[in-house]
Amino acid sequence: MRRKAWPYLLIGILLFLPLGIVQIRVDYERKVQDLESNLVLMPGQMAGSLVLGGFKGLAADLLWLNMEEYWHTGQHYKMLPLLETVSWLQPNYILVWSIGGWHMAYNIYAEVKDPNEKQFWYDQGIKFLKKGISYNPDKYDLYFELGWTYYNKGKDYPNAVAMLEKAIKFPHPEYVNDVLAHAYEKNGQIDKAIKEWEYIRDNFVTFVPVAERMLFNLKTKGTTIPKENKD
Amino acid sequence: MKKIWSIGLNTFKESFRKKMMYILLVFALIVIGASKFFGFLTAEEELKMIKDVSFSTIEFFGALMAIFGSLYAISTEIERKTIYTLLTKPISRSDFVLGKFFGMAMILLVNFILISLFFIGLLIFKHSPPDIDVLKTLVLIFVELIMISSITLSLGTFSSDAFNVICSFFLYIVGHLTSYGRELVERTENVILKGLGDMLYTILPNYENFNIRDKVVVGVSVNWAYVGNTVLYGVLYIAIALFIALYFFERREI
Amino acid sequence: MSIISTRDLTKIYVLGKNREVVGLNRANLEVNEGEIFGILGPNGSGKTTCLKLLLGILFPTSGEAEILGRPPYDTEMKKQVGFLPENPYYYDYLNGPELLTFYGNLFNIDHGLLARRIDHLLELVELNDARRLALRHYSKGMLERIGLAASLVNDPRILILDEPTTGLDPIGCRDTRNLLLKLKGQGKTILLSSHFLSEVERVCDRIAIFHRGNLLATGTLAELNARYQADNLEDLFVKTISVFDNPETGQPGAAQ
Repeated sequence: MRRKAWPYLLIGILLFLPLGIVQIRVDYERKVQDLESNLVLMPGQMAGSLVLGGFKGLAADLLWLNMEEYWHTGQHYKMLPLLETVSWLQPNYILVWSIGGWHMAYNIYAEVKDPNEKQFWYDQGIKFLKKGISYNPDKYDLYFELGWTYYNKGKDYPNAVAMLEKAIKFPHPEYVNDVLAHAYEKNGQIDKAIKEWEYIRDNFVTFVPVAERMLFNLKTKGTTIPKENKD
Repeated sequence: MKKIWSIGLNTFKESFRKKMMYILLVFALIVIGASKFFGFLTAEEELKMIKDVSFSTIEFFGALMAIFGSLYAISTEIERKTIYTLLTKPISRSDFVLGKFFGMAMILLVNFILISLFFIGLLIFKHSPPDIDVLKTLVLIFVELIMISSITLSLGTFSSDAFNVICSFFLYIVGHLTSYGRELVERTENVILKGLGDMLYTILPNYENFNIRDKVVVGVSVNWAYVGNTVLYGVLYIAIALFIALYFFERREI
Repeated sequence: MSIISTRDLTKIYVLGKNREVVGLNRANLEVNEGEIFGILGPNGSGKTTCLKLLLGILFPTSGEAEILGRPPYDTEMKKQVGFLPENPYYYDYLNGPELLTFYGNLFNIDHGLLARRIDHLLELVELNDARRLALRHYSKGMLERIGLAASLVNDPRILILDEPTTGLDPIGCRDTRNLLLKLKGQGKTILLSSHFLSEVERVCDRIAIFHRGNLLATGTLAELNARYQADNLEDLFVKTISVFDNPETGQPGAAQ
C-alpha cells in the first residue's frame, strides 16, 4: 500500500525531450556568439579544459606572470613558449597577441645582432599577430597592431594600408585613422591620404588642427613631412 | 507549501552547525582576496586576474558546497531517525524532498551572495564596478550550483553517501567535458556511436553551458538570449532531478 | 468501532539471494476507539514492524493496514495521529519550544493556539524549566518527555507509541502511565508497544502478543489468562509462545 510513484518517473523522463531541445538552442547560441568557436581549430582548448577545467583563465594568468618575469630579466627566448601557451588557452585575450607581437618584432629584434635573426623575429611577430587576428577577426585591435608593425617597423606600406583599412571597419579610436592617413601618404596614395585627413578633420574635433596642417602640406608641397625630417 | 517552507527553513538553520560550510566559505574568500595581491601587473591584467580567480573560485567552491551540503541532507535524517517523526506528520514524501531542496537552495544562495559581494567589493575597490556581463556570469554560476545540488540530492534518495559523492564528482568533471566529447563523437562514421553519443550528451549534465567566463573576462559580451536559454536548461534539469528524487523517495522504506 | 485495523498484514524482508526474513506474518489487528491497546513481544517479534507499516514508513509485502479507514500514506489521517518512535532523536540544536513549534507548523495550527498548546504541553511533561536548553543537553528521560510532547502537539485522536518507557526510571514510568490514563480519559485511543510486562499490565485495556512475526493472541488480560490458563501476564506470555513453538504438545520445548 503505497502512493503511486511511477508518474514522477514518467514526468522526469519526458522532461528530457524539452531539455534536448533547449540544449540544441544553447549549442546554437554558443556557436553564434563564438563561445566555443575554437574547438575545431584548437585541440589545445580541449586539452586545456581537460586538465584545468574552469581554471584555464587562472593558468593563463600565472603563465603570463612568468612571461613578464622573463621579459624583465631579458630571457627573451623563454618568453616564446609561454606566449604560445597563453594564446592557446585564451585566444580571445587581445593583450597576449598584441604584446607578444610587440616583444617579437620590436624588443627581441632589438636585442639580437645578426640581421638574419632580426628578420626572423620580425617575421615571427607578423605571424603571431596574424594568428591573433584569425581568432579575433571582429575587433580593430590586432589589425591596428599589425598595420602599425608593418608601417613603423617593416616600412611595408602596402601591407600597412591593407591592415589599417581593415581596422577602421570596426569600432576604433581616432588615432587609427591618423596612422592610416600617414600610411596612405607613405604608400604613394596621396589622393587617399587627402581624403582621409579630410575625414579626420570633419569628424574628430581633437584632430582638427593636425588635420588642417597635414592637408595644407599635402596640397601645397605634396608631403606632410618637411624635407629636412624625411625618414 | 508552508510545510515545504518549514522543512526548508529547518534545513537551512541546521547548516549553521555544519563546520564544512564555514571552512569552504572562508577558503573561498581567502583565495579571492589573495588575487588582489598581484599588484605588479598593469591595471588591466590585474583586473582580469581578479575576475579569473574569483569566477573560478566561486564556481569550484560553490560546487563543493553544493555537493557536500546536499550529500547529507537526506541521509542524516535517516541515520539519526529524525525522519521517523517527520514522516508520521501530515507531510507527504514529496513535501520532505522538496523541503530539503529549498533548504539547500537557500544555503547556497546565502553563501553565494556573500562570496559574490566580496568579489564585487574588490572590483569596486579597484575602480572597476562590475558590468552587466559580470552579473550574467554570476547568475549562470548560481544556476549551475543549484543544478549540482539537485543532482546530489536526487542521488541521495536511493544510494549510499559513498556512491553519491563519487558519482557527483564524476558528473561534475564529465559535465564540463560533454561538449568536447560530442565534438569527438560527431567526427566518427559509426552511426551507433553517434546515436549513443547524442543520447549521452542529452542525459548528462552539461555544466559547460554555464561557462561564459572565458569571454567575459576579456571583455566580450554575451546576450540575454543565451543567458535565458541556459537558465531554462538549468531549470529543466533541476526539475528532472527532483522528479527522479520524488520517485525514488516515494518508494523508499526506512 | 475499530479505529486501527490490519488485514493479513505481511512484511517479508529480502536480505539477499534466497535469504528472507519474515518480519510480520498475516497479522490481523483491531484496535477500538478509546482504548489503550498494547502489543507485546520480545525483540524482533514484529511489534515495531507492525507500527511502521501502520504509519507508512515501511510498505507491506501483502495485506492492508488502515487508520480511521484511511491508508497509511494519507496525510489527512495523519493530522489526527501522534507518534513517538523508539529512542527518539531530534534536531539537537533546537530547544524544547522550538522543536514543538517546528512540528506544530507542519499541522497548520493557528499560531496563537500553538503557542498556548506548547506551554501546556511543556507543563504536562514537566519540561517548562528547561525551555531554553538545547536538546543536545537533554538526558534520555527528557528526550522521551519532549518526544511525548511532540506527539501531542496536534492534540491527536490516536497516539502510537513505540516502547515509550525505554530508558525511564520508575518515577518516569509512573508519570507516563498516569499521563496515558489521563489521555484515555480525554477520549484518545492509544496503541503502544512494549516489552515491559508490568507496565502493560497496569495500563492496557487489551493486548496482543507477537512472536517471530506472528500475532499469537489478542484480547483483554482476563480473557487471555482464561484461555491459556495463565496466572499473570508473564505466565501468559510464556504459555502463548510455547504453544506457538510446539503446537502438538503445547509444552515448552525446542523451538521449530
